Amino acid sequence: MELNEKDLIAGLKSENGREQAFQILVNTYQQRLYWHIRKIVMNHDDTDDILQNVFIKVWNNVDGFREDSSLFTWLFKIATNESLTHLQKERKHSTSSMSEMSNQYLAESLESDVYFEGDEIERKFQLAILQLPNKQRIVFNMKYFDEMKYEQISKVLNTSVGALKASYHFAVKKIEEFLKEDHTR
Amino acid sequence: MKIKDNDIETRFSGNKRDNPFRVPENYFENFAERLEVRIRKEQEVNEKKSLYIILKPFLTMAASFVLILLVLYIPYRKYYLAESRNIVHYKSDIDSFDSAGSIPRALISNFSEEQFMSAFSDMEQTESGTLSSENLADFIAANYNDYEIAANN
Repeated sequence: MELNEKDLIAGLKSENGREQAFQILVNTYQQRLYWHIRKIVMNHDDTDDILQNVFIKVWNNVDGFREDSSLFTWLFKIATNESLTHLQKERKHSTSSMSEMSNQYLAESLESDVYFEGDEIERKFQLAILQLPNKQRIVFNMKYFDEMKYEQISKVLNTSVGALKASYHFAVKKIEEFLKEDHTR
Repeated sequence: MKIKDNDIETRFSGNKRDNPFRVPENYFENFAERLEVRIRKEQEVNEKKSLYIILKPFLTMAASFVLILLVLYIPYRKYYLAESRNIVHYKSDIDSFDSAGSIPRALISNFSEEQFMSAFSDMEQTESGTLSSENLADFIAANYNDYEIAANN
């Protein structure tokens, strides 16, 4: 059953159609949200937990959704915030020292990830992306992999389009430098 | 493994956006079902929590009441009663016998209630009954010596 966004929101806010609308919402957005979260936290199990938390938050708070933004933007905002909160918690528990790269534990997670099937070049590329600060990394992922427009990213991350363009530009430069350095070693 | 620069250029500067990550088999097919189970569990927990929130003020009051009773009763039992016993022992040490010189006071506290009551009823029976000459003779023999008896006669 297909519903447009307005009907879907109305269904989610009604007593009778809530469960059915929620099922449609989950089926529509689960994959996009999963890959968005997975690229931030890298690990499948963490992604699964966060994705469930995102939908539970939606289920509990949909009555308070003011429709200032689209459902898609709202869902991506929740997913991004949940993922960043998870990373902050992980960093606190991480034993890596400050001198090491900030996402060392994510790189370790990538190395041991049984659900990573990329070849050596892809692994290096992912490691290069992990060198970026988290917010810059999210901008890069949303632009490069999800091919989202800057305007859309701007609504999700509450950042100006200009700042996003600069962030993406610097991210690309850093990745290129990392890969070149890695090859000259 | 040596990676050439032109490998990277061809892989990542073009339009190809490979996703090297995978998910467990049937993950997306089963996700909605697992999510539903978790939401139901969370709702049950929330219902229990809300019941607790309703009962919390009453439980707090009851707990405070019990706590106040304990706070008052334990020191009373521990110190006040113990001190009363100490006074009895102390008095019995320095003044083992009462002014009549008959029964040690400390001994009285060792009598049970039944013993007291039976002794009291015996006394009442003796008082209410007629005094026999035999009882009178025993009383005089116990309390007066021969000289006093002769002097009174």
